[in-house]
Amino acid sequence: MSSLSARLLVSVSLLLIFFFGVTIVVLDSAFREAGEQAQEDILDTQLMALIAEAEPNPRGELEMPFALREPRFGNLGSGLYGALSDETDAPVWTSRSSLGLDVPYGPRPESGAHSFSRVNLDDGTPLMALSLHVQWELANGDLKPYTFSVAQSLDSFNAQLAGFRRQLFTWFGAIALIMLFSISLVMRGLLKPLRQIESEITDIEAGKRESLSDDFPDELSSVARNMNVLVGSERSRSERYRNTLDNLAHSLKTPLAAIRAILTEQQSTELTDRVEAQIERMNDIVRYQLRKPSTAKTESFGVVAVPVDKELKKLVDGLHKVYKDKAPEIRVDVTAGILFRGDTGDFLELAGNLLDNACKWCESKVSLTIRPLPGATIDSGGMSMVVEDDGPGIPDAAREALLQRGMRLDENAPGHGIGLAVVKDIAASYGGDIEISGSALGGAKLSVTVDPD
Amino acid sequence: MRLLVIEDDTTLRESLCRQLAEAGFGVEQAADGREGLYFALEYPVDLAIVDLGLPEISGLDVIREVREKGKTYPILILTARDRWQDKVDGLDAGADDYVVKPFHYEEVSARVNALLRRSGGWATSVLSAGPVTLDTTRQELKVSDSEIELTSYEYRIIEHLMMRAGEVISKTELTDRLYDQDFERDSNVIEVFIGRLRKKMDPDNSLQPIETLRGRGYRFALDRNQDS
Repeated sequence: MSSLSARLLVSVSLLLIFFFGVTIVVLDSAFREAGEQAQEDILDTQLMALIAEAEPNPRGELEMPFALREPRFGNLGSGLYGALSDETDAPVWTSRSSLGLDVPYGPRPESGAHSFSRVNLDDGTPLMALSLHVQWELANGDLKPYTFSVAQSLDSFNAQLAGFRRQLFTWFGAIALIMLFSISLVMRGLLKPLRQIESEITDIEAGKRESLSDDFPDELSSVARNMNVLVGSERSRSERYRNTLDNLAHSLKTPLAAIRAILTEQQSTELTDRVEAQIERMNDIVRYQLRKPSTAKTESFGVVAVPVDKELKKLVDGLHKVYKDKAPEIRVDVTAGILFRGDTGDFLELAGNLLDNACKWCESKVSLTIRPLPGATIDSGGMSMVVEDDGPGIPDAAREALLQRGMRLDENAPGHGIGLAVVKDIAASYGGDIEISGSALGGAKLSVTVDPD
Repeated sequence: MRLLVIEDDTTLRESLCRQLAEAGFGVEQAADGREGLYFALEYPVDLAIVDLGLPEISGLDVIREVREKGKTYPILILTARDRWQDKVDGLDAGADDYVVKPFHYEEVSARVNALLRRSGGWATSVLSAGPVTLDTTRQELKVSDSEIELTSYEYRIIEHLMMRAGEVISKTELTDRLYDQDFERDSNVIEVFIGRLRKKMDPDNSLQPIETLRGRGYRFALDRNQDS
């Protein structure tokens, strides 16, 4: 379970179930016991009334009057039953209400003792029965044992109990729901800063903002502060890395340029040719190694999104200057507002190398199309970049070889191979790829994809 | 044509300047951004070659400052930073082309010639106006298809005039372009060179390629041919 609020809600629910459960059990048993006690008292009263109405007949046997003071004994199926039996347990009298019913009154108690028992009628109706065994002193002074019994149906008591339980569950259930709802409301409020921090971090990752805001509660403000320090150091680290590479390239290539300048002033000899070849090799290594993608995509935390059209305009203006004599027509078709999620340098490296190659090889036409990948939005960073020209194109056999690092198809067009190898590396570091095919314009078509975040 | 080379690596700068001078350019050199910016703003310059990684003031800032002060001569950047971002920044700041280190001298000289030609409004490296053609790569002057032998001073003057055909070029400007700064300037010498050029190019005085505008200077008077 990953969400804090889900965890809290589950724990609170478990606690509520436990405490409310115990409370319900305690209340229920208290209510039931009180109810049963009341039932027993009622039965006791009925029994006493029954005993009071018993009269010995002239034969010295106990008899019950035809009409009893409690009318329910006389009504069929009233739920209150009475019986009088002698020492052989044979019934001397049964109430009219028990006519046709075989009411069990439970075992006969000891003489002079009460005995409550739970019994059922044949049709399953639960009863509570009370029997009292007495030695009745007859007029002649003899004692004769009799058993008085009353029984009462528990149907209405059970219905009352069930009603009580229903209410108990309804109320506690409602209270539990209200509590959970209010707790989740409180949680929402409490967790809001956390959610804010999360969405701000997402924004930073996506390049939509540079740092976390500083209006978090005390408990989180130090986290936010540390996070900002981390983002800042990450950003400056990759900047430092890039600067180091640039400075290294500068300090390696200037001496190479100097060596080359000195060589040019010499009369050409076998030695200068050999040194020249080594300069070329060193240059290739420096160019390739130091022009690698400045940040791998997974480390691109803290980069800001690059507005593609703005950067492209500068690049295309620059290329128009550089290829002023050739004056190729560079047709740019870019989905408005599309963003590149990564380093500006990496984007320019992709577009610059592709467009420069196209301008170098074209007859007069170059076209660049940038679209979001199918299913990706314009700010997701996922895009396809297609550069086409009307030059001689790239033969099938050479296409794969061209993408190998540092391999050159034509020594006369320096940098072609390295440029494409760099493009391939950068595209790969953004989870994309490069593909070479033929263009409808007649020349080469290079398609580069960059995956969305 | 006068070039300004701003490059901090002494070996590279001196060697490059030597080769450019041998090719007939007047060359001024500066070893850091501050000195370079001063020369770029104060000296007569037809084209500047600027390294981007300079001490004191960066190459980019030099270019921006030069453009801000209204100088329009072409600027070629030398860069060891091979990243497109640096090239784009340089071009965006006002440079016209770039050469990536370590370059071959031929690359630099080809770019320099192309930029100079373009800044004069010429489309190809062979400037042709009427019967006169000047091949700036071979440094050959032909009138009606016959080659004319020129000294290097004479070549520099006719190249400068033809590059900016139709414009009036003052004597001072020509003197500036002709001599390195340290030499004593003498504008009479210009008149002598112009006289010699006229004699060589137009012995029977029928073409009159170079016009004298009294008190203002000289102008290459022939119309440019369409295809050049």
